Amino acid sequence: MAMAETAPRAAVGQSFERASFTGSASEYFGIWIVNVLLTIVTLGIYSAWAKVRRMRYFYGNTVILDRAFEYHATGKQIFIGRLIVIAFLVVINIGTAIFPPIGIVTPIVILVALPWLIKRSLRFNARVTSYRNVRFDFVGTAGGAFVAILLGSFVAFISFGILAPLASRWTWRYVFNNLRYGDRPFSSDPQIGRLYRVWLLPALIVFLGSIVFGFIAFVVIIGAAAVMRDSAELTSTQVTMLSIAGLYAGVFIYFILYGIAGLFYRAGVRNVAWSAAELDGRHQLFSDISRLRYAWIAISNVIVTVLTLGLMRPWAAVRMARYVNEHTGIRINGDPGEILSSIEASGAAISAEYMDMEGFDFGF
Amino acid sequence: MGIATGEWHPANSSRAIPAVLREDGILLVAAEEERVLASAVPERTEISPRVGSIPRRVSFPDGSVFETRDNDGIDTYLRGKRGARSGLIHRLEQFHPRLILMTLAVILLATTIYRFAVPVLVEVAVLVTPPFVPELIGSGTLASLDRTILKPSELPEGERQPISEGFSKLATHSKGGQGAYDLYFRDGVIGPNAFALPDGSLILTDDLVKLANGDREMILGVLGHEIAHVEGEHSLRQLYRAAGVAALVMLIAGDVGSGVEDILTQGGALVALSYSRAAEAEADRRSVELMRAAGYDPAALARFFVVLEDKLGDHGDASILSSHPGTPQRQQDIRNYAAELERRLQAR
Repeated sequence: MAMAETAPRAAVGQSFERASFTGSASEYFGIWIVNVLLTIVTLGIYSAWAKVRRMRYFYGNTVILDRAFEYHATGKQIFIGRLIVIAFLVVINIGTAIFPPIGIVTPIVILVALPWLIKRSLRFNARVTSYRNVRFDFVGTAGGAFVAILLGSFVAFISFGILAPLASRWTWRYVFNNLRYGDRPFSSDPQIGRLYRVWLLPALIVFLGSIVFGFIAFVVIIGAAAVMRDSAELTSTQVTMLSIAGLYAGVFIYFILYGIAGLFYRAGVRNVAWSAAELDGRHQLFSDISRLRYAWIAISNVIVTVLTLGLMRPWAAVRMARYVNEHTGIRINGDPGEILSSIEASGAAISAEYMDMEGFDFGF
Repeated sequence: MGIATGEWHPANSSRAIPAVLREDGILLVAAEEERVLASAVPERTEISPRVGSIPRRVSFPDGSVFETRDNDGIDTYLRGKRGARSGLIHRLEQFHPRLILMTLAVILLATTIYRFAVPVLVEVAVLVTPPFVPELIGSGTLASLDRTILKPSELPEGERQPISEGFSKLATHSKGGQGAYDLYFRDGVIGPNAFALPDGSLILTDDLVKLANGDREMILGVLGHEIAHVEGEHSLRQLYRAAGVAALVMLIAGDVGSGVEDILTQGGALVALSYSRAAEAEADRRSVELMRAAGYDPAALARFFVVLEDKLGDHGDASILSSHPGTPQRQQDIRNYAAELERRLQAR
């Protein structure tokens, strides 16, 4: 939350602009419910086109410097991407039925192909996004994706999250340093010290949370054991049944603790990575999300969505988009009108093959 | 006459020129005052479909783009050009009392899918699952359980031998035959317990054998119940069910938010660990059949629930912590089924 206090101020020759979200929950509800209905009625086929309408709505309402972003993927592209995945699964299934060892090789093949898929997916998503008629592009390699995402997650996992800031640094550097807006590159080099500063609070949440709940569990077990010693029938059965109940409760509590800590961490890392990012080496991006507010919005969104069996999901999505957009912006070094007018599309984004045939667009 | 005002971009450029879109004879023209910036016959231009009130794009064949927020102006033009058919989806999406009907339709359809389509999908998935999948799950689970919460059994061989023999007898009468099942004796923190893995491995804990206090038939009744879980592929079904529901929700709702996604995927994994009420009842009945076929007391499983009831004080109709139906009800059901089976077989 240190970020929130130092709200960026316009300096000489700099203009500072926040993004905004112009959509509304009532408008999105109509789009969403029609998406759901048509997806069901068409046995899932419409879901590709539904995704396009949803993305166009959110991109088209993300406005900065009076102009909105645009999403250009077509339902057909995304549908083809999904067909390829389904065809692959069917082939694998038939293949393993005929020749079982294929089933053992498949997970290895998928793991090897994953960095390539991640790269393709990031590239697809960048290339179908435009702002002021100029498309974004992504030039990262599969090798980069392997280090930034797979190796990063592995390192974070085996170190129990202690090395998570390192992984976050790799990931965000991979994403920003390979991102292009027209002929201008993005760059970001989030400082490891800053990342550890935002890591501290979530780490404390997990650590102190475990101690508190561990202590409560300890008291409960001791108490229960004392009660049982007094009552004549002490069976090992009762103790084990209690410990199984405790095990379930423990898993549940850890799930919640990690969930909350994850929200704080995600918001903190986003602030650090975005605020360290620049467009064209001179225009600084920034993000000043309040971690507490972000976590509150995310948690209350989940609760409201679940309690209304999903019907309030459009409201929740719009609420989150509005908050995140309003706390994201750019500091343009110079006259924004002039600078934004001088950017031209370039590279792969204007050549004939700029639109990938298939929409591999898995989130990561 | 102008259709809409907005901005025009040259091809591949972010430069923006304030412009008007208008019809000029048969041509669609983007113009700055009187200067024509781009023009084409309408058939060669592309107008992006309306979504909410986001800006519209009119792309010209030369790659230049006219962008406007005047959605109504564009819609009026399109209606005149193409008739009422344009923008059907957008009209459906508008905030209108009709949305209430659509919401009701969605609720009805979603319930129908959950009730009827999910079970069918689960059956199909079970049918196409190659046999090595349950093998892999089974051996993997047993190995990791052995490393964590299970210890080798401390029961004397003399006590284990008769149970194994009885178990083989039960297994001979099951669908897969004797070879499809393996019984493993284990000790550990999980208390009096017996459970089956999808590959036909059954794990029986020392505590359960002790709880039986020499009543071997009772133990066999429990094992019969577990064999039934394997026969019915209950754990595989439960796994597919949880995964299927999560996948369907994500496909249909499109975007449920990362929080709900986590609950669906990870919570689903927890749900997959427990059996459903229907599966328990089915396994109880199958235990009765197997026990009878092997020449044991068909209702021996009921005695297990009597003991559980005594030891654990489970007098409720349904326990809260698990999906196991309340034991008093189950005992009754088991005895009723045993009697019914007896009558049916004698009448034959």
